[in-house]
Amino acid sequence: MEKFVKIFKISAQKELAYRSNFIMWRIRNILQIFLIFFLWDSVFSEPQKTIFSYDRPKILTYVFSLLFVRAIVLTSQATEISGQVARGDISSLLLKPVGFFKYWLTRDVSKKIINVCFAFFEGLILYLILKPQIYIQTNPIYLLLFMISLIMAFFIFYFLVMANNSIPFWVPEAAWGVNFILISVLVEFLSGAVFPLNVLPVYFQNLLSYTPFPYLVFFPIQIYLGNFSYIYAIKGIIVSGVWLFLICLLVKILWDKGLRTYQAQGS
Amino acid sequence: MVDGKTSGVYNTNQNERTVIVKQLTKNFEVIEKEKGLTGSIRSLFSPAKKTVKALKNISFNIAKGELIGFIGPNGAGKTTALKVLSGLLYPTSGFVQVINFQPWEKKREYLKKISMVMGQKTQLWWDLPAIDTFELNQKIYEIPDTEYEKNLKELIDLLEVGSILKRQVRTLSLGQRMRLELVAALLHRPEVLFLDEPTIGLDVVAQQRMRDFIYEYNRRHKATIILTSHNMDDVVNLTRRVIVIDNGEIFFDGPLRKLVTDYVKEKTITVNLSGQTDIKDFETIGQVKKVKFPEVVLVVPRETAAVASAEILQSFPVSDLTVEEEKLESIIQRVFRRSE
Repeated sequence: MEKFVKIFKISAQKELAYRSNFIMWRIRNILQIFLIFFLWDSVFSEPQKTIFSYDRPKILTYVFSLLFVRAIVLTSQATEISGQVARGDISSLLLKPVGFFKYWLTRDVSKKIINVCFAFFEGLILYLILKPQIYIQTNPIYLLLFMISLIMAFFIFYFLVMANNSIPFWVPEAAWGVNFILISVLVEFLSGAVFPLNVLPVYFQNLLSYTPFPYLVFFPIQIYLGNFSYIYAIKGIIVSGVWLFLICLLVKILWDKGLRTYQAQGS
Repeated sequence: MVDGKTSGVYNTNQNERTVIVKQLTKNFEVIEKEKGLTGSIRSLFSPAKKTVKALKNISFNIAKGELIGFIGPNGAGKTTALKVLSGLLYPTSGFVQVINFQPWEKKREYLKKISMVMGQKTQLWWDLPAIDTFELNQKIYEIPDTEYEKNLKELIDLLEVGSILKRQVRTLSLGQRMRLELVAALLHRPEVLFLDEPTIGLDVVAQQRMRDFIYEYNRRHKATIILTSHNMDDVVNLTRRVIVIDNGEIFFDGPLRKLVTDYVKEKTITVNLSGQTDIKDFETIGQVKKVKFPEVVLVVPRETAAVASAEILQSFPVSDLTVEEEKLESIIQRVFRRSE
């Protein structure tokens, strides 16, 4: 356990080593929320208007909760592994008596916690500036289901990234491309991290519900907002559980095979 | 001063085999790209796969406490061999055992007993001072505090890195960084140390320092050290046994001295004459290479060098006579050139 505490700390230290870099990261985070906020704020300019089952407080809560859900689910350090695989830089970690996946999970958690802490302050500042109406969920069952769905989302994203990271074992030049496609395109647009997925056509939403993506961001927030029935929420959690299992299996197969083809290039 | 040639320290126990390699073969699949744009487009649709045989059926053993060098030209397979031994690469076929483990299984107990330093890779955290990496390694290798402090102090003293421990790694010179890499790699007192081109890119002084340290570490802790190098000085000054690998095969395996006896068939005798004599008579003793009175240089078969010298001293008016052997560096270079 002690070793993971140390990995956690050193990872955080690295994150904070460059002030300007860190500040830019935070600014980008806030701007993202600002942008989405003003978009929906203008759409829902009339207080009584309801679109796609959202009223003004709920859509603004959606935007605000993005700040936290993104920090918890979509923050990742492990995305740098794909490049390391391509360059042969994972060698030194592979030869250390520490689990590769646990090591990176710890580093992810470290980055996520920093992100959540700062997101809290930034959220507070944004709240004071924008003074939105926020929907507070008080039903303990919804809160519990929300927590569970968030934990599922956390692991699904981690293993998705890990599956992705194995591709450069076979196609080293794709190291950057695979991350771009998975994280910047698929996850960003299909998870609900930019807009609630209700705005999409219904058949597309149905289609999406059979992919792992909505369970990352959209689904947990919907549970928080109480937009799902208990049954529907539990069903969704089960589907995300199946996805988690399948992705874990895929990761295991890909990495077992990948490490056999790994050539430890670069020296 | 490190001098592997004359040193009699042979702290090896031949019965205790740290490394056993039998008929090891390692193939790589590589994709060959054709030249030019049309070639690139063609290989985009039908990539030409090719199997590279990096190691072809090689066998050797290494005893505990040996300091051994894998040498050979670039791309010969020496680094591949090292990577298979450390566990980074899976062998295509053959048997490999290092301290009773199959390296590629990467068992915790195995990884705790080995360490690898790659001249062109870093395990240090680039943005942080090296001491942070050391503390991380302490936890990862589960080194007790007292032992950690003791090992760290010893390594800091040996490598003289006390003053740079708290500097961000990225601000250090390569020589400084390499010394810190060694500290990071040795904190857990590995039984087996793999060094891949440990002196690459270092200046002559830094190279010597690195060699002195490796030698001293081997002597002190009886650690088995396996290094690859294409730096002649590393081999000549450091290793007692060499395995010359070329084109995936073992070209030579044995003590450096034997490399000399195997590959040097001749000795050079330089004679300084004290009076006139018929140079032609030298032809009966050996092959005359150069005559520049009073100096005569001739080459004789290695085994008869002593007899030939005696005969020269008896039959000619000699003021001085020296018998020379080809320098080790030039022999190794010759071996490389021949195999290239």
